Amino acid sequence: MIGIKKEIKMGREAILKSIKKNKPELLPLPDINEEAFDESIDLIETFKSNIAIVGGTVREVDKETIDAEIKEQYPNKTNIISTTNKSILGTVQVDKSTDPHNLENIDLAIIEGDLGVSENGAIWVTANSSIIRVLPFITNDLVIILEKEKIHLHMLEAYDQIAQRDRNFGVFISGPSKTADIEQCLVVGAHGAMSLTVLLV
Amino acid sequence: MSHANRATEFNKDESKVNWHDKALWYVREKRDKSAHNVQGWEYLRQLGSGIKANVLSNLDEYLVQFESNAKSNGVQVHWASNAQEHNEIVSSILDRHNAKKVVKSKSMLTEECHLNPYLEAKGIEVVDTDLGERIVQLAEEPPSHIVLPAIHKTKEEVDELFQEHLGTKPSGGNPEYLVGEARKHLRDKFMKADAAITGVNFAVADTGGVVVCTNEGNADMGVHLSKVHIACMGIEKIIPKEKHLGVFLRLLARSATGQPITTYSSHFNKAEEGKEMHIVIVDNGRTEQLSREDFRASLHCIRCGACMNTCPIYRRSGGHSYDYTIPGPIGSILSPGKDLKKHSSLPFASTLCGSCSNVCPVKINIHEQLYKWRQVIVQEEKQPILKKSIMKTAGVVLSKPKLYKLAGKSARFALKYAPKFMIYNKLNAWGKARDLPEVKNDNFDDWYKKRNKNG
Repeated sequence: MIGIKKEIKMGREAILKSIKKNKPELLPLPDINEEAFDESIDLIETFKSNIAIVGGTVREVDKETIDAEIKEQYPNKTNIISTTNKSILGTVQVDKSTDPHNLENIDLAIIEGDLGVSENGAIWVTANSSIIRVLPFITNDLVIILEKEKIHLHMLEAYDQIAQRDRNFGVFISGPSKTADIEQCLVVGAHGAMSLTVLLV
Repeated sequence: MSHANRATEFNKDESKVNWHDKALWYVREKRDKSAHNVQGWEYLRQLGSGIKANVLSNLDEYLVQFESNAKSNGVQVHWASNAQEHNEIVSSILDRHNAKKVVKSKSMLTEECHLNPYLEAKGIEVVDTDLGERIVQLAEEPPSHIVLPAIHKTKEEVDELFQEHLGTKPSGGNPEYLVGEARKHLRDKFMKADAAITGVNFAVADTGGVVVCTNEGNADMGVHLSKVHIACMGIEKIIPKEKHLGVFLRLLARSATGQPITTYSSHFNKAEEGKEMHIVIVDNGRTEQLSREDFRASLHCIRCGACMNTCPIYRRSGGHSYDYTIPGPIGSILSPGKDLKKHSSLPFASTLCGSCSNVCPVKINIHEQLYKWRQVIVQEEKQPILKKSIMKTAGVVLSKPKLYKLAGKSARFALKYAPKFMIYNKLNAWGKARDLPEVKNDNFDDWYKKRNKNG
């Protein structure tokens, strides 16, 4: 073991030394002029049309009708996990200590998104809101509830919003999982969720 | 074997080549549409290029900063000078966890290091989980494209592979059915995996986190279901600040497939409680490339594959004709730095049309570097006698106007009157699989003089 550690350290020193020797003179880090990306667009409408482009479904609903909408979209689900108090449809309880392998047969997960990005329909989902990291991926279908006021123009704005967070795990999710690896035919439902419904409240 | 010889192999199936050509051009068109939708796209490319140039000029400092931030998040950081060291490190981590079943999401770096055969020789099962990668793994082939690994396979071929290895029913190549079966097959692998290996799209110096982009969700299924995550990255994957992801994630998927962003952009900063996260930082020839002033910008590459999709040579010769982990225009400027002799034909696999440079999201001057590698190669590598003598003759002819005129006249005469076998033979590479242009009566010089007299 000691031998391996020593070798690893040599790799580090050798690489850093070689970079020092070979790198060009310091070039400045460019400032980002975000005004160049300004657009006067309808954030919500653009967000909605981008969700459709990436294969998701989006509905604007009242807080009171969330569960009715979910039931209409997904009528025949039995193993449901809800990690938000905005929906009471959950049938399976989980906490941080739940073995992620136990989620193999989850039909539907209902979680909250922290923010949305208008330019690409992506929604920021954190480990805190999904409780178990694998949940939004392993579930057969996924519902994300998002507040309309939390939609931002582009990714640069989004990173400003999430700058002050507890960094453990987070993911931008844009649509259901998909692949075009067989003759470029787009098939929705690869390894992650087979469908995504976004409920804007 | 040279690129041209291997391309000839690929071109034996004309309908497949035509399909390949069109499919990739379609992806290129999607890229255009998607890019044109973005306010300030060209400025965004400029930023991407500028940030990467800064990264290379301060790479050692950023790497040290990245390491220290990652470590304070409980991540274990390893450094590997070459492929061998990389494979040993990964293997020793797996050993410590007694991991026998490994799921891997797409990583061109582990391809470059030939990690799979290394681990397999030690009795470890390594399953590539990106569908395209799984297809080529079952076919025992390397990927032919960095974003679309199985683009050279027809759906009927995939159907047969799956029948043989996954026990599927013949479906005539039904993509929905085949993807569904692959999902079941790979879900089982995810559930049973001891460890997950992923690549890294971006490593953020100021947070110590790594970002992995997939459409299928395979990286996340692997990482979140196994007890140890090993992320392998080349040293050039560093970006200074998390905010810069706002530049690169806007560029990456649009350039790659025309999507506004990949389905999943996963930010790994800390391991889940009770689990481990490792990052292996790999050189393997990159610092040497950094030393080459003319070629160091090739390290800006974010592996989107746009240069392949647009390249008229790549589209018609296929990724395997390059015989290098990274094919296409970008591979043709990276590979000579690794092994000049072996890859000496690749910088010539280009028309120097410059389309690769035009679509590159981080503005690498790919076609200029191809031209520069050619100059290095003709100095250092033996060229075919035919090419050498033609080039010499051409040099003499072009330097003497009278001789040039005579040569032009005779060529036009020959094209018009000489029998076919004299024009279309082994000595004339331009006559291979194409008709030479019909000869009009005047050459430009004659026409211009006449025009002057008349005018």
